[in-house]
Amino acid sequence: MNSNPMRRVPLVLGNKTLKQITDDICEPVETIPSKGWMALFLGAKTLFIFYILTIAIVVSTGMGLLGVNHPVGWGTMIITFVFWVGIGHAGTLISAILFLFRQKWRTSVARSAEAMTVFAVMTAGIFPLIHTGRPWLDFWLFPYPNQRGPLWVNFRSPLLWDVFAISTYATVSTVFWFIGLIPDLATLKDRAKNKIRYMVYGALSLGWRGTAKNWSHYEMLYLILAGLSTPLVLSVHTIVSFDFAVSNLPGWHSTIFPPYFVAGAIFSGFAMVITLMSLMRIGFPKFKDYITIDHMEVMNKIIMMTGLMVGYAYGSEFLIAWYSGNDYERYVFMNRAMGPYAWSYWIMIACNVFIPQIFWKRNFRRSIPVMFVVSIFVNIGMWFERFVITVTSLHRDFLPSNWGQYAWSMYDTAILCGSFGMFFTIFLLYLRVFPAISIAEIKPVMNVGKEDDNKGAH
Amino acid sequence: MNNENHDHEAAKITNDQIENRPLVERHTNYWRSFDELNNTPEFQKSLSTEFMSSPLRAESLNEGDSDKWARREFLKLMGASMALTGAAGCIRRPVQKIVPYVNQPEEVTLGIPNYYSSTYFDGQEGFGLRVQSREGRPTHIQGNPDHLYNHGAVSVRGQASLLGLYDPERLQAPHRNLFNEKRTNKETVSTSWEDLDKKVVEELKKGSVYILSGNIPSPATQAVIDDFGKAFGSQHVVWEPISNDDIAEGQRASYGEAVVPYYRFQDAKMIVSIDADFLGTWLRPVSFTRDYANGRKQIEKMSRMVSFDSTYSLTAANADLRFKIKPSQQLTVVMGLINEIVAAGHGGGMSTGSALTPFKDAAAQLGLNPEAFKKVAMDLWNNAGKSVVVAGGLQTRTADSHQLQIAVNFLNSLLGNDGKTVVAKQGMSRLKSSYANMTELVKKMNQGAVKTLIIYRSNPLYALTKDLGFAEALNKVNTVIYAGERMDETAAKAHFIATDNHQLETWNDAEFNGGLYSIHQPLIRTMYDTRSFQLSLMTWAFIANVGPKRLITYETFYDYLRAFTKEEMFSKHASGRDFETFWNDLLQKGMVGEEASGGGARGFRGDAFTNIKKKTASSPYELALYQKVQIGDGTLANIAWLHELPDPVTKIVWDNYACVSIKAAENLKLKEGDLVEVKVGDKKITIPAHIQPGLHDEVVAIAVGYGRTMAGKVGNKVGQDAYILSSVVNDEVLFAGLPVEIKKAGGHYDLVTTQGHDSMEGRQIVVTATNKDYEQNKEANIHRHHTWSIWSGHQYSGHKWGMTIDLNSCTGCSACMIACQSENNIHVVGKKYIMQGREMHWIRIDRYYTGDVANAEAVFQPITCQHCDNAPCETVCPVAATVHSSEGLNEMVYNRCVGTRYCSNNCPYKVRRFNWFNYAKLIEKPMHMALNPEVTVRPRGVMEKCTFCVQRIKVGKNVAKSEGRLLKDGDIKVACEVACPTTAIVFGDLNDDNSRVSKVFKAEPRAYALLEEWYAKPAIRYLSKIRNNDLVTAPKAHGDEHKNQVTPPEGGHV
Repeated sequence: MNSNPMRRVPLVLGNKTLKQITDDICEPVETIPSKGWMALFLGAKTLFIFYILTIAIVVSTGMGLLGVNHPVGWGTMIITFVFWVGIGHAGTLISAILFLFRQKWRTSVARSAEAMTVFAVMTAGIFPLIHTGRPWLDFWLFPYPNQRGPLWVNFRSPLLWDVFAISTYATVSTVFWFIGLIPDLATLKDRAKNKIRYMVYGALSLGWRGTAKNWSHYEMLYLILAGLSTPLVLSVHTIVSFDFAVSNLPGWHSTIFPPYFVAGAIFSGFAMVITLMSLMRIGFPKFKDYITIDHMEVMNKIIMMTGLMVGYAYGSEFLIAWYSGNDYERYVFMNRAMGPYAWSYWIMIACNVFIPQIFWKRNFRRSIPVMFVVSIFVNIGMWFERFVITVTSLHRDFLPSNWGQYAWSMYDTAILCGSFGMFFTIFLLYLRVFPAISIAEIKPVMNVGKEDDNKGAH
Repeated sequence: MNNENHDHEAAKITNDQIENRPLVERHTNYWRSFDELNNTPEFQKSLSTEFMSSPLRAESLNEGDSDKWARREFLKLMGASMALTGAAGCIRRPVQKIVPYVNQPEEVTLGIPNYYSSTYFDGQEGFGLRVQSREGRPTHIQGNPDHLYNHGAVSVRGQASLLGLYDPERLQAPHRNLFNEKRTNKETVSTSWEDLDKKVVEELKKGSVYILSGNIPSPATQAVIDDFGKAFGSQHVVWEPISNDDIAEGQRASYGEAVVPYYRFQDAKMIVSIDADFLGTWLRPVSFTRDYANGRKQIEKMSRMVSFDSTYSLTAANADLRFKIKPSQQLTVVMGLINEIVAAGHGGGMSTGSALTPFKDAAAQLGLNPEAFKKVAMDLWNNAGKSVVVAGGLQTRTADSHQLQIAVNFLNSLLGNDGKTVVAKQGMSRLKSSYANMTELVKKMNQGAVKTLIIYRSNPLYALTKDLGFAEALNKVNTVIYAGERMDETAAKAHFIATDNHQLETWNDAEFNGGLYSIHQPLIRTMYDTRSFQLSLMTWAFIANVGPKRLITYETFYDYLRAFTKEEMFSKHASGRDFETFWNDLLQKGMVGEEASGGGARGFRGDAFTNIKKKTASSPYELALYQKVQIGDGTLANIAWLHELPDPVTKIVWDNYACVSIKAAENLKLKEGDLVEVKVGDKKITIPAHIQPGLHDEVVAIAVGYGRTMAGKVGNKVGQDAYILSSVVNDEVLFAGLPVEIKKAGGHYDLVTTQGHDSMEGRQIVVTATNKDYEQNKEANIHRHHTWSIWSGHQYSGHKWGMTIDLNSCTGCSACMIACQSENNIHVVGKKYIMQGREMHWIRIDRYYTGDVANAEAVFQPITCQHCDNAPCETVCPVAATVHSSEGLNEMVYNRCVGTRYCSNNCPYKVRRFNWFNYAKLIEKPMHMALNPEVTVRPRGVMEKCTFCVQRIKVGKNVAKSEGRLLKDGDIKVACEVACPTTAIVFGDLNDDNSRVSKVFKAEPRAYALLEEWYAKPAIRYLSKIRNNDLVTAPKAHGDEHKNQVTPPEGGHV
């Protein structure tokens, strides 16, 4: 592509001018949606409405509609909750950690990845609320002054830590994402051709004028928020893993869970980013210049690496189970691989450990169809990872008389599929409402106005 | 006059009073003051100002000077009046006068239950009860601990019968049937008693009256029937589906008197059961269970129980040594044992003739180890006079059943057990039912010799074999009168249904065995327009004006009963009391007299034995019908608690099934739940197969009592009717030993079990040891873990509740489960939801199989909340809905629970139950009356579990406090403990050094904590189970995955 091997590959292709960039990125927000988008949106929206109905039925009738039972007290809702929270991780990692490490390639994908984070956390956040037996009393999970004594929450419970972790994460990542949007929203306002648009984007851009002082404050705030978000990337899934690790159930009670969950979360998050970016490149062909194959390749490398990390975690769990000499724990792991749910275990292993390894080959790493398929497999695999952890640990624990199976029902299917409807509805709307790539951030990483022999990027 | 009014207050109201009722209804028996009595104007005025706190009154008092009112008080008033308006809007006040509990009956204190003595009889076994009544409605049935017959134990069915009282499908009025000429239709309409009585009496006057009933344990009811017989010349026929006429006939042939003797398992050191499920369903299983357990409490001197069985019954599951046989081999077993004893040169003086010749090689015929078989015989002989051999039950109703009983009697006489462990005098003389009676009746019906048939609590159209042709014969009877409480299979074919009271609404008495006289008090006034059977007979005699004086004199059966007791029972049991004292004592204590005992050995009629010749030929598959502990003969099939109760052995709920062995299943290519067609002669049923480890390979065992068609919404079409397979061969009704054709019918059916896995997977869950192990080491097979903690744990300064469960006593009878269900308002969820793992039982009994699968042994373990000191559930609840009490209870706060189910996930014992749906909403009226008001009915979405009956703990503490004394061990008895016939469950205070539980916790070598190494520090200790089988358990390395393999000392496997 370029003759000089010392020269960096440009992050944006097509020798765009600054105006072109603005035009390209604003186009989806300022044009009538294509048929493809409409079809996807209608599908997602229908699924979303279906999801709302399902939730309404479950909340009004009872948790018994789902497959959760005795002994498997947690099921689809918790599995899918962990799945979506995990998805959320890549966004913050890309936007905050890579920002702090000055990884310029992040700029093209950061906006959408972060949007994905916010929407995934929104999707996930519903589950802990509706999976309770009496969802109308969920506010009791929050420590607030009350007239019952006051009756305080139980600070020893990992579920409570979860409440804080998720709500903090949701808040910080939403703020971080929104702050990043402000200059672009101002751009949209400036380009607005009708009054409503002007007023809405004007209000959203919080009076951004693009002055040097604005920029100075903005950069500082963005840096601080990036700093705040960074520990959250690690802490949220660590705390989610505590739901399992702090309990005393064999297969859950494990010190490896926090790093293992974080690696898995990044793994699944990047897979979802690949899925979404592949679709965005197809839907908005102009974005191909911004979200280049090089971007995708970098993310595929991360997938490959984190895939190996979760593979390592799977292996070490077995080792520890054997080494601990604990009969119950040994049994749980043997049962995972050979018991009635062995199929789910091997789906997980195949999708998470083996399939991503094809990225060792450069052609596959850089092929959109291949990476799309792999990313779907990884998403499936990571859902099954949570299924394996939740269900196979619970279904056969200490006393064999308690052993049972998860009673999967059509409501489980509806809840699982419906959550995708919710996520995609919001994400598709986002694509039409906000610039999917950060205009303000992409411009500084351009080669525009620089000499060809400029060493390194700006 | 349609109920036996035991409310004396109401009975006193005469017609005069009724006619001269004042216009404004006011109860004038009580008045608040003389003013009220005279109803002066002053009084009227004082009434209006009586409630000093009324906001309305306060307002009127302060009229004109409202500025005196501070804002705060004004708001208070506003709040109060708003609340009042609100209340007026919500509460539907009846227009008519309603009466609060002002005239409180003397003995009732609101909120404090009363206990009344009564009885329950299930057709075979009787129980003295102490029924809990709350504000006039019975809410819980438990045994009468002072009753000498059952010593406080009640069967599952006895306890669950409570629900029958509140069954919405119980008939609520007399009915008659609008038959067409061929009686093919079924159109019942309700009628009035006057109308029914008139028509019935017309029919009765035509003569040829027969009364068909089940066993009548009540002398007074029997007297009414007999008196009625004198009035109308009626004959009384007694028949039960589960008859013990085989035993009675065997006794007659052997000793000359037809009795059903009592067997003293407590005194027997060696017990051999040949298909007699004496721990589950045979004769008096609950009393036997208690006696049996008592004979095993002292491990050093515990009895040995050997079971030869063709169905994996509860008795088989508890046996020290178990031999699987098929029904046709039962006689061979007994004859073989006799042969071994005689061959060893014992038992001289009793002639055996040539009867034993075909049984010289009995062990080989049975396919059993000859050494082991001989050992059983020698154990019997070595315990001569201290052993007992029993055979009986449906499983033994083969063509040989008569001879089997004679052989058993012979063996007992040979061993000198008769008069010692087999006591005829203590026998149950009122178990008179027989199939011969029934056969005779059907014959008469067919001859047209029966014009009117009165059927009382008997359901031949369901339970009687079709071979006898009862249904056809019934069409030849002019008038059929049915006295029962439900529209069942037989009632539907009756012309008149003289709807009977529920047992809990009826006065009665009972004489379960000679010497003990019990009273049966009603617990509630008749809920509907029903009339007891006894009163119906009395009324009909009264209208016809025939019969003995006492039959037509008394207006209620209560009066008859009193007179009867005075005439016939008072003199026997008076012991110096006048009648009123005697009567009051009787009502209070529930019984008088004492069990007859002794009697000595009876002479055996030699020729009965020498004529024994085996009739039943062996066949490739043999039928063995049996009863289940829960359902029994099927009478209580509409009681959901019983269907929801897992079978003690198979743990399957809501179904019956054809049990086949593992090998038979392989041969027939069957999987669990595959439908099979079971054919006996020309009769066949299609039923799912259950693969039962340890069953004989050539047996097809099916439980009767299922497949009801008119039991009600709950019981209809649950399982298949196996009574259909019972057949008449040579004028005998047979239930077992019949050749069966079994083949795969195609299709699958979900058999639902509450237990996921049958093996302990080598974990230390139920610890079993043998008597030899125990001799070596009292802690045999218990692996103790070294546990430690870095923190001191909870401090319990007052009480610390704990429980011990002796697995050596527990037989798995499941009485505790029903007791808990009744006490704690536990919902029934039904088969579908149990399949999804949503059963709600707070206490469950786990059953594990041990040993090799072909000869699997079973062990039982009641599991309930362990009330851990380091409870894993408590730490994980985000809203602190499950908390630790200062007395060591793990408390569940339903109000606070949001239902995350994290506690259940974290519970190593998985004892927590979640309300997946709003089950409480499904409680149909008047079923809600069975609820215990002291226990919250849990709403949807909350977790629940065993509370250690915290309501009983509170009551116990309050009683002790109000009596100004310290709580004694045994003051508080939890529901499962009360129900346990073997006293395996003991509850008490661990901080009391002298309590039974703290002694076990401190010093009992057999005690261990379940999952001790997990360090939840449970407040329950299990005591290891000892099998008295003279084997030695191979030492087991800790962590070894293999099961407890039992190896016999000298080769031969049993």
